[in-house]
Amino acid sequence: MSKSLAASKQLMQTYLSELLTEEEVAQKSLLVKEKQSKPLEKLLLSATFPQLAEQGTAEKLSSTKAQNKSLVKEQAVTNTVTKPTTKLRQAKIEPEVNERTRIENPAQVAQSELTTRKSQGGFEPIKQRSYRQGDFQAMFFDVAGLTIAVPLIELGGIINHDKTTPLMGKPDWFKGVMLNRDNKVNVVDTARWVMPEKCDPTLLSTLNYQYIIMLSDSSWGLTAENLIDTVTLKQDQVKWLDAPSKRPWLAGLVKNRMCALLDVKSLIQLLEQGANAKNN
Amino acid sequence: MSDTRRNASESENTNDEVVQRVTFKLDNETYGINVMQVQEILRYTEIAPVPGAPVYVMGIINLRGNVVTVIDTRARFGMESAELTDNTRIVIIEAETQVIGILVDSVAEVVYLKSSEIDVAPNVGNDESAKYIQGVSNRDGELLILVDLNKLLSDVEWDELKQF
Repeated sequence: MSKSLAASKQLMQTYLSELLTEEEVAQKSLLVKEKQSKPLEKLLLSATFPQLAEQGTAEKLSSTKAQNKSLVKEQAVTNTVTKPTTKLRQAKIEPEVNERTRIENPAQVAQSELTTRKSQGGFEPIKQRSYRQGDFQAMFFDVAGLTIAVPLIELGGIINHDKTTPLMGKPDWFKGVMLNRDNKVNVVDTARWVMPEKCDPTLLSTLNYQYIIMLSDSSWGLTAENLIDTVTLKQDQVKWLDAPSKRPWLAGLVKNRMCALLDVKSLIQLLEQGANAKNN
Repeated sequence: MSDTRRNASESENTNDEVVQRVTFKLDNETYGINVMQVQEILRYTEIAPVPGAPVYVMGIINLRGNVVTVIDTRARFGMESAELTDNTRIVIIEAETQVIGILVDSVAEVVYLKSSEIDVAPNVGNDESAKYIQGVSNRDGELLILVDLNKLLSDVEWDELKQF
């Protein structure tokens, strides 16, 4: 028993560390992009010379000469060398410069990546959620040692886990259809959906689903082993993942509990698309 | 009741078609097929395997002088095979202008189902077997999975069966 608890805690810590590292990875990738863009910026700077030459403004050249004496000699040399072939060089270099400026503007590239990632899936930004203003209540539940929070405003209800009817050909995270007061509930095996890679037979055999957490007014429900509690959270108690991420279902991380806070609307969208947490 | 209301309710009733379904069991789940496609239900008789037959074909039976191909329904639905019991039945059906048999754990009953009582199954999963499901229906607190027999095999597979 204690072993399984320890294993569950370890599992949760590993999982949360993965969740937390995502941003670092994103930051790293941004740093790499910055680093990559630096030599390009240098190239761009060096490529500005032909543009100046194209303008053929002797005044500008003389002004730079006046500003930096060390450059005077170099420019004087280049000027003397390039003068007879200026037109030819302009013709050759010009398109190269234009292409680079068009493609390698790092700000533009970053901007376009940021806007397309999430918009591709049609996910609404988390900033627009009603619980992103002021205090809000969240309910905590756990699955296979992993604690998950869901904003109460997006909680459709909690029902007891009953017999589910599996349907052939559905993904393994789709536990089946369950009847609740003549309504059909599409039951999601939360552990399999959130962390399929950790769902080995040993872990699956220990799962004891007792509740179904209904998502908003949809027919989707998440299985839960235990309901922990409900707390009122302040905005700064959550590390919001407002920036587009690979996990649109994750609204943020509750700091003091180190657990995931679900973005229910995006989660429903993912479930409708038949995607799990890893392959969205 | 006003005329418009009466007309609306009449048209609702005509649209809400009642279809009889034969229900059978596989792995403790209940499935339903259109009764109009069921020709007869047989007790299990020996199924003669056919060398080189596709994996979904269990073999053939002799039905009053006619050769009928029997499909392994459990395998088709992605289930593990089970032992044959006294309740095992071969349901002779007609689909895509062909007569075939499907092996089931047991046959339960014939139920009347209104179209309005059938719900669409969630459209998740790309598995081939997901397309066999026509819908789900709540019958006395139990879910009935409705199977589209015409989609049980692909066009190519139906053509393959013709050659038997």
